[in-house]
Amino acid sequence: MDSEDPKVLIYFKATGDAPILKDSKIKASGSNRFVKVIDHLCRQLRRETLFVYINSAFSPNPDELVIDLYKNFGVGGKLVVNYASSMAWG
Amino acid sequence: MAKNDKSREAQKLVWEGAIPLQIHLHESEVTTLPPPSPAMILAPRIGYLPLLVSQIKPYFSSTLPPGVDTVWFEYKGLPLKWYIPTGVLFDLLCSEPERPWNLTVHFRGYPGNVLSSCEGEDSVKWSFINSLKEAAYIINGNCKNVMNMSQHDQSELWRSVLNGNLESYLHFASKLKFGFTADDLSMKLNISSLKSREASTEADASGPTKAGRIPIRLYIRSFNEDFDDLEDLPVIDSWDNISYINRPVEINDDGNCFTLGDAIKSLLPEFFPNKTLPKDSACSPNVKENEKLEPEAAGSGATGTDEAEEMLQERLKSCSLSDTPELKLIRIQGIEPKLEIPFAWVVNNLMNPEHYIHIIVYVRVG
Repeated sequence: MDSEDPKVLIYFKATGDAPILKDSKIKASGSNRFVKVIDHLCRQLRRETLFVYINSAFSPNPDELVIDLYKNFGVGGKLVVNYASSMAWG
Repeated sequence: MAKNDKSREAQKLVWEGAIPLQIHLHESEVTTLPPPSPAMILAPRIGYLPLLVSQIKPYFSSTLPPGVDTVWFEYKGLPLKWYIPTGVLFDLLCSEPERPWNLTVHFRGYPGNVLSSCEGEDSVKWSFINSLKEAAYIINGNCKNVMNMSQHDQSELWRSVLNGNLESYLHFASKLKFGFTADDLSMKLNISSLKSREASTEADASGPTKAGRIPIRLYIRSFNEDFDDLEDLPVIDSWDNISYINRPVEINDDGNCFTLGDAIKSLLPEFFPNKTLPKDSACSPNVKENEKLEPEAAGSGATGTDEAEEMLQERLKSCSLSDTPELKLIRIQGIEPKLEIPFAWVVNNLMNPEHYIHIIVYVRVG
């Protein structure tokens, strides 16, 4: 609904044996859905599937807006996104 | 626990709620003449479409083309997101409730560009548990309560949702010790407190007893033109036409009766424009009278919310077009609740088992 589109700072953190990214910090548009973040990770890591979590805790619904995730779960001005090749937190 | 039963009557109805589905096999997958008759099935509101597949498959197994794929559902051309509870899909997509609800089932050609992949019940359970964890995070600031739950209890919790067993659900959910599922927030704030709103002592006692955050998923349908009849609304042909917003409602410990209207206003302030709009105050003098009649509301921070409610009512009645968005309809669990009802009642009764309240909002913009 908001006319402005705030940027959200995302920190990627590898979990388990997942490879570490070259660019572990990105700025994403708040109006993006989380699925875009997942796609970005899959592309960067050349994986078909990844398990992606917020704050080492849960996988959000892929339709959720990045800005909502940031507002609800952001810590210290950033959104922490963990990724793993296999299920990390059940 | 008779008192609890009484104050959660509606929750029981929600759990028993089901939508009659008439499921047609998509014509491209019909290999027999005559084509198979549609399957009639009752879908629990709190359930998910993939969980119905084992019941639906036998109806069509004799006519399916060879091969295997993920089963998916469609309504008037829109592939249905499997992780949205069935009741929410119905309330959102069927402006004018259609019974039975005519859906199309596909056994081939999964639209992976629109729907995330689904491997049957496991995927649905996984999505459910993650939503539960997300809700816990909003409520508690972490989701240790869900993560520390034993596998057995987690499975039993899921099974109770699967089977629509409220008793069992309440038993296992109580182990999560969410503040507002206990007596805390809660059931004291029932219909009786609504009746006696003017008694301020009563209102204090019945208000939320502590500050808290309630997880909400909002689905907003916007229309450019005014409408009187829900049947006239256009069919949704893309998920892009629905704004999906996740914002918690913050409940403050101010002792006032916090209503659904207050909650909606805090979620969507843009639909409750500045309360000093001259047009509104000029045409609704009774707003001021109401304020005088309810001094306890006028003397506290709740003034604006009452006014906003009045304004909303005015707006709902008024047909005059303006630039401000206009709330046309709010639907939760198939009902269109009044904005005056206590929000705690909504939380206790209309919440889905993953601890989210799904609210559908129709709004006219421009």
